[in-house]
Amino acid sequence: MQGFFLGLSSGAVCAAYCAPVLIPYLLGEGRSVLQNFSALLQFLMGRLLGYLSFAVFAWGIHTSLPQDIVHRNLLIGAAYVILSGLLIFYSFFKAGRACPSAGDQGIDHRLRESRSSLFLLSMGLATGLNLCPPFLLAVATAAEQASLLQSVLFFLTFFLGTSVFLIPAPFLGLLRGFSPLPVIGKMAAGLIGAYYLFIGATMLAGGFYR
Amino acid sequence: MTKEHPSQGKTVGVRQSPGKSFLLALPMMLLTLMMMSGGKIPADPQRLFVFAVTYLFFNLLFFLMIHTGKTDRYRATAFITYALLFIVSFISHMFEARGSMSLSEEKIILCEVPFCHLVIPMTLIPAALTKTIIFPGMITGGFASIASMFTIWIGASLSLGRGWCSWGCFFGGLDDAFSRILKKPLLRKIDPRWTYLPWAVLLAVVLTAAAFLSPTYCTWLCPFKTVTEFQAVTSFKILVQTIIFVSLFIALVIVLPLLTKRRTQCSLFCPFGAMQGLTNRINVFDVRIDPHICTNCKRCVKACPTLSVTEESVRAGRPLMSCMKCGTCVDVCPSGAAAFHVRGTPVEGNRNIKRLLFLYAAFLFLAIFSGGTIQDGLSRIIRLITTGSMI
Amino acid sequence: MKRARNIAGYAWAVACVVAVLATFIGNDYFSAKLASATGVTISPWYSGGEIVRSIDHGAYRTVIRRPVFDGLIGERKEGFIQIEWQPVTALPPVIEDGIDFTGDGKEDFAFRLDTIAGRGTLTPRNPSVIAVETLVKVNQGWVARIQLRKVS
Repeated sequence: MQGFFLGLSSGAVCAAYCAPVLIPYLLGEGRSVLQNFSALLQFLMGRLLGYLSFAVFAWGIHTSLPQDIVHRNLLIGAAYVILSGLLIFYSFFKAGRACPSAGDQGIDHRLRESRSSLFLLSMGLATGLNLCPPFLLAVATAAEQASLLQSVLFFLTFFLGTSVFLIPAPFLGLLRGFSPLPVIGKMAAGLIGAYYLFIGATMLAGGFYR
Repeated sequence: MTKEHPSQGKTVGVRQSPGKSFLLALPMMLLTLMMMSGGKIPADPQRLFVFAVTYLFFNLLFFLMIHTGKTDRYRATAFITYALLFIVSFISHMFEARGSMSLSEEKIILCEVPFCHLVIPMTLIPAALTKTIIFPGMITGGFASIASMFTIWIGASLSLGRGWCSWGCFFGGLDDAFSRILKKPLLRKIDPRWTYLPWAVLLAVVLTAAAFLSPTYCTWLCPFKTVTEFQAVTSFKILVQTIIFVSLFIALVIVLPLLTKRRTQCSLFCPFGAMQGLTNRINVFDVRIDPHICTNCKRCVKACPTLSVTEESVRAGRPLMSCMKCGTCVDVCPSGAAAFHVRGTPVEGNRNIKRLLFLYAAFLFLAIFSGGTIQDGLSRIIRLITTGSMI
Repeated sequence: MKRARNIAGYAWAVACVVAVLATFIGNDYFSAKLASATGVTISPWYSGGEIVRSIDHGAYRTVIRRPVFDGLIGERKEGFIQIEWQPVTALPPVIEDGIDFTGDGKEDFAFRLDTIAGRGTLTPRNPSVIAVETLVKVNQGWVARIQLRKVS
């Protein structure tokens, strides 16, 4: 239960870090509450995958990663670059769908739909791999676990604890009556993407430089 | 004096006789005298001269507003003068206090950075959740304290709504000035979707400010740092930030307003302005377009410097929420269909009273808020001419 | 009803003129009231956090503020601690201080400040102490911010 409580106690901070990624996306889609829940589930699945892979990783690296600022910067930088690349891609890729009927037929539609799921999943994965402060805390704690199973269990409960705070996000669907919201969401996603890209790139550059 | 509109046969009040204009401007003369002097006329000859020039400047403009029935050209004269002299005054103060325009680490550590209204949207969530303000300024006391700026913002929101952006903001006069230089726009087409960008900037900066507990708009984007104060370039990160805000200043405050004749920074980027649009919903003054008089000439659509009047909004009888109440549409409307309005009252009738009520609130705000800065700016210029230095 | 709305509209408009005057005449009063009613302070990320201890060295003193890890909700992994040496006029050319901010009786880091050259040297004795973030001379003295990272 340590992971769950750690997740609960730091989940609000997690939400603060994930919200800039998730909220513009949900606004950008302009879908209903139910559809947003499905989007959130895909996002959370991605995050869970990220967390579980880190559970394996944390068990492997034990205490070395949190102390090593160079590798830490490289990893955070890479996560930021991936995340921002996805966000910017999303802003431009989706904004290019000018004709409403263009995505509603045949293979093209199915491809776009599957890309959308993959997109959400990978975005969740990227935030899952993202070394935000509560996550670093989790990594450091998990790295002290004796076995791989314990480490995985720790991350699973940590994930459940932090996810509680993302539950209200789908209710943003209630705002979809305000028609400019999708455009605003996409523009905001692009802006935040640019910010993360810069932070990621400088971290990577700093990491390599050292 | 009134003018008969030929096509509609309606009487549209536009001008007042000099005598009546003087009488209507008299309360403004008394109020500005009281507020600008603080009840004490300066004894020092130079300060008295500067005070008299400023006082006469404002009251002449207000008199002309009433006499000619035109709002925007006189508002803009005062508004642009304010922005220019604000820069003169602010930069001189910075040089006096710290020897340069760049913010030193010392000032940040001591929390002595002047607070400006553009930071307000980013401070709200952290203030609600942590009871702290994420800015290295002073809560009360000193120059441009946080509580003082919040008080002015609340007062402006209650009395003017987004009219703040055309009557109060000390930066707005800059892109307003550049948007007036060319007679005709070189770039006419602006995709209306760009008008959503301020909301996106608002969303992005509010979320990132809450996540990083840092005023991200000030750090990364604010173009007006170019003409006020900025962090000294001591790292690659600050260099990138500097390149971004200087580029935004050149693009949004100089080049695009010149090319489009629109206030692009205020209407296509400013996150504070977007948030301020919400206060238009609770403000008593607005602009209405009377569909019974409107000839659908679209002059207001073409002239609106903030892209707040669209063909749909004309049909709806009012500008968009982003309206800054500058009065351009009211001035260019040949039929008098566009007019300042007081909520709760009928659109037709008593137009001059409604306009006067709005002008009293708006012009008074501008005169009081800018009076001290304009006097200081003028003093600095006189000092420059007589001594060769503004400091 | 129409008449009542009319009167209310005009009354509200006149109240706006009064609000403008009140904003400026009562600015000091309203600012002080706003600050005291909300109880807001400057974020410790800028103010440096509250002072927890002051060590008297005779002519000068070392002021230790609380470690700052404050997040939007909860705490962050990374933070800093601000140490100050004041007054500036009484500081010796070189200051060597051992700081125990955890209060466990053990030194968490040692700091050597060369007030002439404006250089600071940090010697961490605790894994949570990372590096010197800022070292700046202010009118009261010298201020150092030491970067910290939570280690569990």
